Amino acid sequence: MRGTKTTKRRHQELRLADSILLLGFVFLLLLPVLARDSDYVLQVFTHAVLLATLALAWNILGVSGSISLGHAAFFGVGAYGSALLSLNFGFSPWLTVPLGGLVATVVATLMGLICLRLRGAYFALATLAFVEIPKVITDNWDGLTKGSLGLVGLPGFTALRLGRYSVDFGASPAAVYYLVLCSALLLASLVALIFRSNLGLALQAIREEEVAAEAVGVQVQRYRLLSLLVSGFFTGVVGGCYAHLIRYIEPGLVYGIHFSAVPMIFAICGGRFTILGPALAALILYPVDQFIFHPLLPAGHQFLYGAVIIVAVLFMPSGFWGHLRKGQFALLKTRSVE
Amino acid sequence: MPFLRLEVLSKKFGDFWALREIDFSINEGEIVGLVGPNGAGKTTLFNLITGRYRPSRGKVLFRDQEITYCKPHEIRKLGISRTFQSCRPFAKMTTLENVIAGRVFSGKFRLFPQRIDIDTAEELLELVGIAHKAQTPAGDLTLSEQRRLDLARALATQPRLLLLDEVAAGFSPVAVKQAVELVRRVQQKGVTLLIIDHFLTLSLRVSDRLFALDHGEKVAEGTPQEVMRNREVIRAYLGMRHEEP
Repeated sequence: MRGTKTTKRRHQELRLADSILLLGFVFLLLLPVLARDSDYVLQVFTHAVLLATLALAWNILGVSGSISLGHAAFFGVGAYGSALLSLNFGFSPWLTVPLGGLVATVVATLMGLICLRLRGAYFALATLAFVEIPKVITDNWDGLTKGSLGLVGLPGFTALRLGRYSVDFGASPAAVYYLVLCSALLLASLVALIFRSNLGLALQAIREEEVAAEAVGVQVQRYRLLSLLVSGFFTGVVGGCYAHLIRYIEPGLVYGIHFSAVPMIFAICGGRFTILGPALAALILYPVDQFIFHPLLPAGHQFLYGAVIIVAVLFMPSGFWGHLRKGQFALLKTRSVE
Repeated sequence: MPFLRLEVLSKKFGDFWALREIDFSINEGEIVGLVGPNGAGKTTLFNLITGRYRPSRGKVLFRDQEITYCKPHEIRKLGISRTFQSCRPFAKMTTLENVIAGRVFSGKFRLFPQRIDIDTAEELLELVGIAHKAQTPAGDLTLSEQRRLDLARALATQPRLLLLDEVAAGFSPVAVKQAVELVRRVQQKGVTLLIIDHFLTLSLRVSDRLFALDHGEKVAEGTPQEVMRNREVIRAYLGMRHEEP
């Protein structure tokens, strides 16, 4: 009797989680219509979706149990790589953004070779320190990067034409929003595929029990490096997008601790072991901070923000999405035994 | 030809010889018990065979091929698998996922688990008797269930040689009896077994031969009866009276 009751309640919980997901998705799709009078709302959500993408990318490494505090390195290198390629060679951002991602992958290889021999807090600390390497280089290579002056006047995304229709990203904040949203959805689908594949299985096994993972034949270091590279690539791509969207970058901004810490915070609050948790946390927490906490306490809104994060971690250590979907983190679709 | 052969295998940690000059071999199809008190070097021996540690001296040969310095995944590919004294389940993954993970990294790499991987994993859970826990997170299983899971996960790698580390430790008499049957069934599938068994709960009943270690050195080898009568073994386990002059 009790068994069936709990099963029933769990099903209700899961249905609740699915409904939240669906409602949220429809809301995000309709947002430019709902908020057509306010560019500010759209701007905030554009940034929130961008952060969601970052959190998703961070979690490709996060799912293997490694906590990185150095993803700003990939973000910054992606931003600068893309910006410099477009400024110096006149390439379109559509081309330079993925190239920036590749540059970030090279930097990720370097970080992997140095830091991946470490685990846990030591790995986190080493990655935190690693950010300084590309930052100092960018800051001081005046001839190439203009140093701490930063780069201004970056080209924006050029209009996309399809027959008679054209989407102009310079003129329409809604177009920019949908561009960012599309990339987030693409990355989310990719992350879902990765997590459900044997690669995802290996990464989780490494996280849970590295020695046993090794014993069943997982080549631990190879998989850890692979996840770091993929994670670094997408973080670099988001960095490039960011550069061409705000069209101004400087080392202190794109290599800032902000872009290392924020994806980690969102991933942990949302649920490190879930596919969508990190993105959902970004989509909820950032707008809540901007729309509610900021007007309430303009000077100290980060205090409220921090408090919410602490409470979330204290009471839902597996993240709120992990909490909601408890008992259903099975990533593999298997024959139901119920 | 011996199936597994160890030649003067030694392992030194700092100044301490955890294992010293072990010569030992196992024939195909045998069940061999590895016995000895705490700290005798039993688990270290497993770690040397499976490539987790590098020996300080000596050789490991598997089916006449030297595997002394192979990496753990290479040794796994050759067909040697192990369980762990502390089980080491992938705690947040389901029981079924644990066993699937045992299977998919052994052969040719595929991007997704195949139907057959899932079916085989379910059969193995059936075999060890925890099929009803397939969707439970492995960390929520009881100790005895975790030991069964560890065994199923090791079997999923389709080993030729299986090293069991204290698989029946702390089991009730009923559970020990089930474990004995289980080990026999595994043997019938054509798997050679080396069993670490501190308290001899399992090895006295299933082993063809026993191999006794104490303080990193071999003290006896032979049939269970012979080894149990060996003075050195008795001394290692029970201590010895002061020698009368």
